[in-house]
Amino acid sequence: MIRSLAAASAALAAAGLLMASPLAAQPKSDPDWPCPQRKTPEIDLAQVWSGPDPASAGKWTDDQDAAGLAVKLASRRTPAKEFGPLLDGFVKEAGAEADKGLLRVMAGVYEIINDQRSRLIHGIERYARGQQRLADRIREEGDALSKAQTSITAPETAESRKLDEQLNWDTRIFDERAKSLIYVCETPVLLEQRAFDIGQQIQARLKAKGG
Amino acid sequence: MIPTAPRRLVALLAGAVALTAADAASAYTVYVSNERGNSITVIDSTTLEAKQTVKIGRRPRGITMSPDGKVLFLCASDDHAVLAIDPTTLKVMRKLKSGADPELFALHPSGNPLYIANEDDNQVTVLDVEQNKVVAQVPVGTEPEGMAVSPDGATLVATSETTSMAHFIDTKTNKIFANVLVDARPRFAEFSKDGKRLWVSAEVGGTVSVIDPETRKIIHKVTFQIPGVSKEAIQPVGVRLTKDGKTAFVALGPANRVAVVNAETFEVQKYLLVGQRVWQLAFTPDEKLLFTTNGNSNDVSVIDVQDLKVVKSIKVGGAPWGVVVSPQ
Repeated sequence: MIRSLAAASAALAAAGLLMASPLAAQPKSDPDWPCPQRKTPEIDLAQVWSGPDPASAGKWTDDQDAAGLAVKLASRRTPAKEFGPLLDGFVKEAGAEADKGLLRVMAGVYEIINDQRSRLIHGIERYARGQQRLADRIREEGDALSKAQTSITAPETAESRKLDEQLNWDTRIFDERAKSLIYVCETPVLLEQRAFDIGQQIQARLKAKGG
Repeated sequence: MIPTAPRRLVALLAGAVALTAADAASAYTVYVSNERGNSITVIDSTTLEAKQTVKIGRRPRGITMSPDGKVLFLCASDDHAVLAIDPTTLKVMRKLKSGADPELFALHPSGNPLYIANEDDNQVTVLDVEQNKVVAQVPVGTEPEGMAVSPDGATLVATSETTSMAHFIDTKTNKIFANVLVDARPRFAEFSKDGKRLWVSAEVGGTVSVIDPETRKIIHKVTFQIPGVSKEAIQPVGVRLTKDGKTAFVALGPANRVAVVNAETFEVQKYLLVGQRVWQLAFTPDEKLLFTTNGNSNDVSVIDVQDLKVVKSIKVGGAPWGVVVSPQ
């Protein structure tokens, strides 16, 4: 019982540490945002692109080939090493119209990845709120247990055993989630990396360079 | 040393892009600290290829070199130590006392002492690197990071991220004699070669303050606007000035760009797209090339200083943080 109380407070302390990670590049402004990385709701196009304005090539959704490639490139199932060959194939196929097509591919990739990323960000916020609720409950359970068991030597009762089990269980869930948060927080960064990588590869294949 | 002919051949094989930049430059060695990779990557400035990546220290960040190029100093933040490394063998020669959580440091122009920012302890540790002895610990503002020593060695400047100040410390007495308030979260300080200007970047403020160290007044605040990039993404960190004091390069973090600033008129001449989350910069001693560490794309970009063009991206270890180039 004492052990589970200690574990619970250790878990809460660890969660606090995670929030105050020195990796944080920015002071936190949003209490719902649990990641050390600064919350950026959207990627700006110019963060991943310095070429001509992709909107100048018309709606990407009207170009079946460009849209198909954009979906494929944006999909996390497509490994980064396939970006080059996929784009080369597209350029060959498109011929004289390649530049315009590439711009539409970029527009599509940017929109799809940004959309995936926003959904992820909302997911992380829901996750953080869930953790906060669980942390509150663990605190309450700890208090209840301290009340039920007035001293270390006091004999265990049915009530205190039940409280202890519940506290143990919640603490374990909290710990597991706190650990996976490190990986969850990395996912928006991975999407930014993907958008940047694709952006650079598309730009390298444009005949008319801009920006 | 490799004779010239085979070296050229290597450069030729390395690719045409590398060749134009590399052919003109002398051979220097570039050392990059990888914060998450817990490693150092070694790059040849001639071939612009990563020669090797070696595991060293935990959470390596600040990296610098002795003026004679014989010792590489590395802040191993999670080891709470500064490592003195042999640049040739990349073996740790000595583990130096650094105080807790060393992040960035500056070496006195004479090569000793080393001034270390202890981010968690709100102080600067003054370390005699020869005797491995802490000479003084100077209390400064919250979360010190940027460190710079004036070219004459008389003044040390430490910036504190949370207090948003540049603290001026007398290197004889190791006491603060002045503070200059700059914009939010100052990360880096750099003196001009003649000692007449001090550039301090503010990551959250999005500006770079140019200070006259004599009067300690801010002469100008450089601001940045990049079409299509939101203001929040423009986060200045690393600053480097050319020896002639005419041009400044400013790393803009998640804007993924390095700004080229006319250091006399303070106008931004150009923004160069590099890699993701660019933080630190280092010139080759001949100032032909500038290397940038891009923490999120895990690469180093190479800028041709004359042409103001990014000539290459070199993959390094996880989350590259600091960079230093050998003096020879």
